[in-house]
Amino acid sequence: MNAYDKQLPCGTELATLLEQVADDQRAPNPAHQDNCPYCQTALRRLRQDWVHVQSLAQEPVPIPEGLTAKIMARVHTLAGHLADSILLGHPRGETRIGHTVVSRVIQRLAATTPDVAFASVKLGPQDPQQPRRLSVTIRLIVTFGPAIERIADAVRNILNRRVPTLTGAELDRIDITINDITEPPD
Amino acid sequence: MSGQVDDAILVEAAQDGDLAAFEAIVRRHQAAVYRVAVRMLDSRADAQDVTQETFVRAWRSLGSFRRHSAVSTWLYRIVTRRCLDLIAKRRPTEELNRLEPQPAGRDLAETAEQREQLRAVTRAIGTLPAEQRAALVLREFEGLSYQELVDVLDTSLPAIKGRIHRARLAVLEQTVAWR
Repeated sequence: MNAYDKQLPCGTELATLLEQVADDQRAPNPAHQDNCPYCQTALRRLRQDWVHVQSLAQEPVPIPEGLTAKIMARVHTLAGHLADSILLGHPRGETRIGHTVVSRVIQRLAATTPDVAFASVKLGPQDPQQPRRLSVTIRLIVTFGPAIERIADAVRNILNRRVPTLTGAELDRIDITINDITEPPD
Repeated sequence: MSGQVDDAILVEAAQDGDLAAFEAIVRRHQAAVYRVAVRMLDSRADAQDVTQETFVRAWRSLGSFRRHSAVSTWLYRIVTRRCLDLIAKRRPTEELNRLEPQPAGRDLAETAEQREQLRAVTRAIGTLPAEQRAALVLREFEGLSYQELVDVLDTSLPAIKGRIHRARLAVLEQTVAWR
């Protein structure tokens, strides 16, 4: 027999009152409860007791440092992106830049283009005969207002201008899909 | 990148192999996933492992994610199952050894008495049967509705209500001396 399974002298189950307190529900029988000294005393006590659970619930649980990086390192390995790279030839060796890096550069450039609210990048399959050349598909969410086609053109221009400089990759094809529009920031 | 972007858009992008979108999902939801794991396992080291495994599993099963369901519900389901699996593998003595209280929060538990009360609640939660523990943690600490609990724990509403009721009774029984 649990102490909270007890019945008060007025007939009310303590467990019912606990549910009322924990779920912050309204009293099922307020006319009785408001005037019953047993219910009032029990409710007061239950609220005092339950507050410790609520306090624990409000305690911050800080995320361990580096958790995101650890998760993403495992995901990158799973995704196999570490193995994919573009090859930059050099007389005294070779430089490889991972597709993940190229994707991030493209995503960042696209996302920071004016009137772009969100950019997602997917690199196309690579032709082994042309290890510098890539095709890319980009999804955008753009802000409402400017001509959408102009925003897409601006993204293409920025990518064509800066991706080769930053990464050495040459973008053969840039396909852009506008997935949604959003309100401009205040 | 993901300030105002819906989870659905991020998931769609991640399903296409966009790791940056998946990272945005991780950043958005890792705190809740880790919190559930800490409360269920009462071990920050185990919670960190389970959080990593949760997102790795989420990445692997992106293809089967149903777009009409919430990402948070999906992740709660994965992390809860991982925690239940781990609890089932623990030996009873190992379980008891893990009932060391967590350090108190910075602001909320300023007095020794308050700290002891919070420790008592933590200990009480740690002694609950695993399924009751899961229901209680998701309800009281994550604020899930009963219907959301049905989805996450994949059981009936009466079963959920029963588990939470029994868990609450047990926690109070262990943490206070009812007069």
